[in-house]
Amino acid sequence: MTGDTTQVWLWEFFNPERLWALLVLPVLVIAYILLLRLKRNRGMRYTQTGIVGAVLPRQSQWRRHVSVAMALCSLAAITGAWARPAGTEQVPRERATVVLVLDLSQSMQATDIDPTRLDASKQAAKDFIAQLPASYDIALVALSGNSRVLAQPTNDRGMINRYIDALTLEDGTHIGDALMAALDAIAHAPGEPGEDPAPGMVIMLSDGSNTGGEVSPEQAAANAREQGVVVNTIAFGTLNGYVDLDGQRYNVAPDTEALQQIAAATGGAAVDAKSASQLNNAYDQMRSDVTYEDVKKEVTARWALYALAFAFVASLGAVSMAARWP
Amino acid sequence: MSGPDFAVSKTGTTQANGRHDVGAAGSVLREPTGPTVPLNRLAPEAALRRLELTVVRRLEGFLQGDHLGLLPGPGSDLNDARIYVPGQDDVRRMDWAVTARTTVPHVRDTMADRELEVWALLDATPSMNWGTAGVTKRDLGIAAIATLGFISQKMGDRFGGMVMHSDSVKRFPARSGRQALYGLLGKLLDDPIERDNQPATLGLPEGIEALIRTQRRRGMRVVVSDFLDPGDQELDPKAPPSWERPLRRLAVRNQVLCVEVVDAGEMEFPDVGELLIRDPETDFARFVNTSDVRARKMIDRAAAAQRERVAAAMRRAGVGHIRLQTDRDWVNDIARFVLTYRQTAAVLHQPPQGVTK
Repeated sequence: MTGDTTQVWLWEFFNPERLWALLVLPVLVIAYILLLRLKRNRGMRYTQTGIVGAVLPRQSQWRRHVSVAMALCSLAAITGAWARPAGTEQVPRERATVVLVLDLSQSMQATDIDPTRLDASKQAAKDFIAQLPASYDIALVALSGNSRVLAQPTNDRGMINRYIDALTLEDGTHIGDALMAALDAIAHAPGEPGEDPAPGMVIMLSDGSNTGGEVSPEQAAANAREQGVVVNTIAFGTLNGYVDLDGQRYNVAPDTEALQQIAAATGGAAVDAKSASQLNNAYDQMRSDVTYEDVKKEVTARWALYALAFAFVASLGAVSMAARWP
Repeated sequence: MSGPDFAVSKTGTTQANGRHDVGAAGSVLREPTGPTVPLNRLAPEAALRRLELTVVRRLEGFLQGDHLGLLPGPGSDLNDARIYVPGQDDVRRMDWAVTARTTVPHVRDTMADRELEVWALLDATPSMNWGTAGVTKRDLGIAAIATLGFISQKMGDRFGGMVMHSDSVKRFPARSGRQALYGLLGKLLDDPIERDNQPATLGLPEGIEALIRTQRRRGMRVVVSDFLDPGDQELDPKAPPSWERPLRRLAVRNQVLCVEVVDAGEMEFPDVGELLIRDPETDFARFVNTSDVRARKMIDRAAAAQRERVAAAMRRAGVGHIRLQTDRDWVNDIARFVLTYRQTAAVLHQPPQGVTK
C-alpha cells in the first residue's frame, strides 16, 4: 500500500495522476452558471412584479447554491480519495542504533546544574537508556578533545550504564570529531544478514562551543546527512555557568546556535536544557523522536468521510427542495 | 346589449400543427409573435351604430361636423347677440327681439359645429404583450380603440392613433371614415411586437407628453394602457403615479378617456406552484411559491390597492376611466360605460378654472 507520494498543493497523493478527474468540476460549474443564465429566459412572465417583490419576502436561493456547492465539494473529495491521499502516521520503530554523544569537557564540572552538569547528564542518560526498547542498539561516544567511541553499538544495557558511570572529565570540545566517531559507531552496528542496517540516530549533549578538532562540525553534519543519520542536539547548561580552572574563572555558556545548525542540517531536533528536569524533558522528547517514525499511510477513508459529509448536506438540500419544506 | 361574445377564445380547438390553441396564454411564457385577435373580431361595427359617445368639451376643427365647436361660425347652436354690421352680416340672422329692446340692430351668432378628432395612444410596451385569457392586453387595447372608434364615427370625424414602444412613439395620422379606421386598426394589429427587456427610454408619462405635443387641436383623447409603472411598489392612493401630471395636462384642453387594460391573472394571482417569475420590462426575476395561500392573498390585496390608486389618480385628473379585462367581453363593458357616461360626462370633464369648456 505504500509507494512514492507526490505533493499536490497541501496534500500528498500516491496516484496524483487521477486528480485530472477534477477537471470535470470547472466544467460542471460553468454548466451550472450557464444553466442559471438560460433559466432567466424561462419562468413565468408577469407584469405586476413590483408589488410581488414588495409583498413577498425575498426567497433566498442559497439552498440551491449550497446544495450544488456541496455536491461539487463531495465530488472533489471523492476524486481526492480515488487518488489515494497519503497521511503521516507515527509507528513504533522496531530497531534502531542510538548513539549517545556526551560532553566530557571541563565545562561539565560547572555547578549551575545540581549537583554538576556531568553528574546530571549521566543520570539523565541512564534514565533515557532504561526507557528505550530493548531491541535498540546503543553506542556511547565521548565528546572532548579526544573524541572517541567508548562503547560500540550493543543492546547490553548494563555495560552501557557501567560506561556512563565511568565517565570522567577531559580537556577540549571537538564536536566534529565526536560526530564522525558517532557515524563510525553506527557503521559498525551489528546488522542481521539480509536486512537493511538499522536506522541510526545520534543524540548529542554538549554544553560548550567547539574548540577545534580534525573535522569541523559543519563537515561532520554534512557527512551525517549523507548517511541519513539524524542528529538531535541538547544544549545543556545555563548562560551563567562557570568553571574555575587554574585559579581563573571561565564563563561556560552552551553554544546553542552551533548545535541548532547541526540539528537543522541533519533534520534532527535541537532543544535547550537549563536544568536537570529540563534535561529529562529533552530526553523524553528525544525518545518519542527516536522510538517512533513517520510513515506515509493511505488515508482514503478519511477523505471518503469528507465526501460523505458533503454529499449528506447536498442531499439534504436536494430533498428539501424536492419536498418543498415549509 | 346582447352582441356576440367577442372575448371568448377558441380554447379547445386544434391548430393545423396539432397543438391546442391556448389563446393568448402562451404569452405567459414568452412574448407573443403576433396579434391574438383578428381584425374582423375587434368590434361589431353594425351593433355599435346606435351608440354614441357623449362629447362635452368644445372642439376646434376645420370642417362642418356634428359637435359643438369652440368659436363662432356657421352652426345650429345659438350664441351671443351682437351689433349688426352692414355689409358683413346676413340680415336673415337678425335677432329681432334684441333689436326691438335695444333699438340697435343685432344679429344672433351661432357656434360652429365642428368635427371630432379622436386620438388614441396605445401602450405597446412588453407588459402589454401579456394575457392569460383569449387575448393579450395589447390586443384588448386595440379592440377597445376599435370599439370607441366605431362609436365615435360621425360625419367627418377623424380618428388617429399613436403607438408607444419603450424606445419610440409611432404616429398614424388621423383620417375620417370607416375604411380609414379599419386601416388604422390593421396597422395597430400588425405593429411589430416588442421584445422583452429592451432598454427602455420611454414610459407612459413620455407617451402622454408626446400626445400633448403633437396634437394641439382640441378633441378627444383615448389613452390605452395598463397604467403600471415598471417595478412600481407604491400602494398609497394619495401618492400620484408618474403619469398623473401629464394626464392632467392632457385633460386641460381635451376630453380624455383612459382605458385601463387588466388581466385576470393580475387581479387574482395564479396558483401555479413554485416557479421563477420574471418581469418583461425590468430585471426582476425571483422564485415565488405561488401555492402559498397567504402570499397569494397578500398579492391580491396589494394588486387591488394598486388598482384603487390608478382609479384615484384618474379621478383627480378628471378623465373618463374604463376598465377592461382580457377575459371579459370588451364590447359589453364599453357599451355599459357609454350609457352611464351620458349622465356623468358633463361633470367628469369639468375643465380646470380659467379654461373654456
